[in-house]
Amino acid sequence: MKALMSVAAIIGAAGILLLAGMTVGIVPSNTVRLIEGYMPVQVIAELTLFVAGFTGISYMMSAMGMAFPRFWQGILFWAFLLIYLKFRVYPPIPFSVRAMYGTISLVAIFMWVSANEEDWNKFKQPIMNVLDAKTGGTKFLRIAYLVIIPILIGGFSYNAMVPKSEEPIELRTVHPAPPASTKVHGKTYTLQTSQNPYRVNPEGKYDQEYSNSNIVEQGMGRLMKPTSNPWDKDAQGYLKYVREGGEIFYQNCHFCHGDNLNGRGLHAFAFNPIPANFTDPGTIAQLQETFIFWRVSKGGIGLPNEGFPWASVMPPWEQHLTVDEIWKVILFEYWHTGYYPRTWD
Amino acid sequence: MGRVAGKKLFSIMALCAMIGLLLLPIAVSLPSLAMGADGADAVKKDGEAKVEKGRDVYYKTEGIVVGAPAPKTVDGPRDYPRYNFESRVLLWFANQQHLYYGSFVLAVPIFCMVIEFMGVVTKDKAMAKRYDQLAYDFIKISLTAYSLTAILGGILIFTFLTLYPAFFGYLSGIFRPVMHIYALMFVAESGTLYIYYYGWDKMKEGFLKWIHLSMSVILNVIGTLLMFLANSWIGFMMSPAGVDEQGRYLGNIWHVIHTALWNPLNVHRILGNMAFGGGVVAAYAAYKFLASKTDEDRAHYDWMGYIAMALGVAFLIPLPFAGYWLMREVYAYRQQMGITLMGGLLAWLFIIQATMIGILFLSTNYYLWQALGRMRGAEKYQRYIKYLVFVLCCGYLVFITPHTIVMTPAELKAMGGQQHPVLGNYGVMSAKNGGINVIITTTILSFVWYMRGNKVSTVSWSKFGNIFMGVFFGCAYVNIIWLAIYGYYIPANVRVGLSVPQVATTLSCLFFMFALNTAMMKGAKQMGAIEWGKISVRSQYALIMLATAFTWMMGLMGYIRSSVRLFWHVNEIMRDNSPWAYTHTVGFAANMISFNVLFFWVSILFVFWLGSLGLKKAPVEAKAGVPGAAPQPAGGH
Repeated sequence: MKALMSVAAIIGAAGILLLAGMTVGIVPSNTVRLIEGYMPVQVIAELTLFVAGFTGISYMMSAMGMAFPRFWQGILFWAFLLIYLKFRVYPPIPFSVRAMYGTISLVAIFMWVSANEEDWNKFKQPIMNVLDAKTGGTKFLRIAYLVIIPILIGGFSYNAMVPKSEEPIELRTVHPAPPASTKVHGKTYTLQTSQNPYRVNPEGKYDQEYSNSNIVEQGMGRLMKPTSNPWDKDAQGYLKYVREGGEIFYQNCHFCHGDNLNGRGLHAFAFNPIPANFTDPGTIAQLQETFIFWRVSKGGIGLPNEGFPWASVMPPWEQHLTVDEIWKVILFEYWHTGYYPRTWD
Repeated sequence: MGRVAGKKLFSIMALCAMIGLLLLPIAVSLPSLAMGADGADAVKKDGEAKVEKGRDVYYKTEGIVVGAPAPKTVDGPRDYPRYNFESRVLLWFANQQHLYYGSFVLAVPIFCMVIEFMGVVTKDKAMAKRYDQLAYDFIKISLTAYSLTAILGGILIFTFLTLYPAFFGYLSGIFRPVMHIYALMFVAESGTLYIYYYGWDKMKEGFLKWIHLSMSVILNVIGTLLMFLANSWIGFMMSPAGVDEQGRYLGNIWHVIHTALWNPLNVHRILGNMAFGGGVVAAYAAYKFLASKTDEDRAHYDWMGYIAMALGVAFLIPLPFAGYWLMREVYAYRQQMGITLMGGLLAWLFIIQATMIGILFLSTNYYLWQALGRMRGAEKYQRYIKYLVFVLCCGYLVFITPHTIVMTPAELKAMGGQQHPVLGNYGVMSAKNGGINVIITTTILSFVWYMRGNKVSTVSWSKFGNIFMGVFFGCAYVNIIWLAIYGYYIPANVRVGLSVPQVATTLSCLFFMFALNTAMMKGAKQMGAIEWGKISVRSQYALIMLATAFTWMMGLMGYIRSSVRLFWHVNEIMRDNSPWAYTHTVGFAANMISFNVLFFWVSILFVFWLGSLGLKKAPVEAKAGVPGAAPQPAGGH
């Protein structure tokens, strides 16, 4: 047990030093990189290591007769989490989410320090000491808190109420609900049931399983399967339509959506928000093809009321492309990102 | 003997009367159910005259048009008479209060049935008496609340008739074939409840007790059927069936009742009502515990709170899965409805809902950890609690991560787009399924610890059992998390299907580990007694938090379910043309829900007070804190 805790303590201490070093710039900030695509698991794994590390440090200090007070353990661990979320994760997490995470971690710390009477008594002892104020030091602290806490609350209140020139917070609906049907080039498409006419097998029949088996590999590399090259001159059917969709994409869409379809095209940063990142699992991977068909056809101007604040400059592509071209470009987007359109069967 | 035989006869007659009451509505309605009374009349009247046919909007079957089309309402005193106030808010209030009380009075008799059954099968006579008294106390509270439910139901109907006459007229026209069945079910419910309650003392032993217990079963069957009928109205409003595109009734009342969302709504509501009822009773016990002056009272209410919490949580655990099924059916019914709910306009309300679900499970776990404190011998588990906190917290953080993030344009710019490489992954269903399953599995683990807190297994294979249990839980966590990650690499329809093995993993932990633990703890060595009444006061606040979160979440989910129709009274059939056919802001909705919650709790406190006026105090056979004599909940100990 002691050996295990010693290892945990070493990991914890090294981790804290590394994080502190990267935060203040002594250690290069890319020493331990968070890699896009693996970040969600990396973050949880790192936090798990830190918890193990802190446990080890606490255990070792107790074993050496220098037990760290439970009160400060709780406070410092919470501070650590806030610093981690603020400085470790990049791109920065918006304040609203950090506030949610911070509140929950505070509740979790409360649950930990008050899980049993002994721990709870240990935790609240310093607070009770200050409230009882039996020594000179605690008397001073009590008076100091009496002055500082109202000032702090007043300061926060003032800061919250004072008029600011910042742009207001917006609750942008990323995926507004589509209509039941949409009319494009004079034909009505029911979004629940319509299908991409180019998602076909070599026999020319609609076949999602066939097309799914020919998309690029999902993940960091996004490698094309050797037998599924749309730019092979002999490619037919689905792969040929993917190629045609790709040509349309690079003639019309990539200026904004980027040549890797990650929303970072030439013009992307002229807009806020930048165009949709199709490689993110929260965009086209979550949607039916017909949803994309509707959004591409109608563009930002066709967003429903629910799409407030309508922050999209995408043109209504039905004015520039044919229905067939729209379906093909959608085919290409799914092929290139390695995602599968949502279906309900 | 003669007197006992008379009682038996009386009891059997009472039971038969209840069954008769239960069957009466069905017998009355047989002709109309068989062919649709309206349909038959229409055909007879018209004779050989032209019969108009329509196509069912959902079942796509043809039927004879026998109803009027849905009215095309206009804003004005004819269709939308009003006070100088928003009619929708008044209706919201009346509906919500009726629902709270309705849920409570439907849930509590189920508790009574379970507790009374536990009393009947328990061999310990003192415990049996205690269970019986507890069940009686519950039904007494329920009886007072039942009157209030009926009053609130009346207020609700008057509110509908006064403020939305055209809409209510249309709905009651559609449901006309079952309206009187609905009313007769109320009569049956009331009659059964009164016989059940007033017959308690007369039928307290032997065969008569079993008759009495059977009555509770009938009472609950009637209550459940009543709820199913009520659910058919909301199911019809969300996903209409049995009518054509103009909203004309096609003569098949079963189609009207059995809509696309009726079954998942029924399952979700039964579980929800039970969890809610457990929460309310647990909060009542917590309040009484905090106000207790004696150790005996504290022991009694501590025990009562534990029983209510355990029953409530037993139904809370499957609740998210039932909710998942409901949402899946909503998506399958109308994609845009599903997106409005979970990805669009109402997405933030779902984040609040996820937060409330998390609070429920956190409160439950916290209560169980506190409850370990009143067991001697449970100290060995205390030092591991911090790891459970961490696992719960990680699951919770993932579960509540929003897909639609609130941020300033500057933050949006700094983030480099709408999608965040970490939050974007946590914010979708695959990760959230993993999060909630981790939370539930951890709660199951806490329960297992609690069940074995003061015991040491004496079976010869206990070491193997412990290792197996540890490995099983470990594998469960790995499987849940792995499937959550794997969900990003497969098609959406397969991903949705992944929830099945995730849920199966969680439920396997629940059933297999509970069963294994029970087998291991058979004849286990007691390290110390459970000292009822010696639990921390923080645990009681956790129970109050649990109940408040239940109440708030019920209000929230009701609002979300209703709002998803947007500007429709009946989805795609009858448009809402009142001035209030818009969706409230999140802030307004939250305030309104909070007001409803507050009103409910103030009024239920009044009900509790009324109930306590004539309450017989529970006989406490054993003094709290005396090892071996303290009450032990059935099953777990």
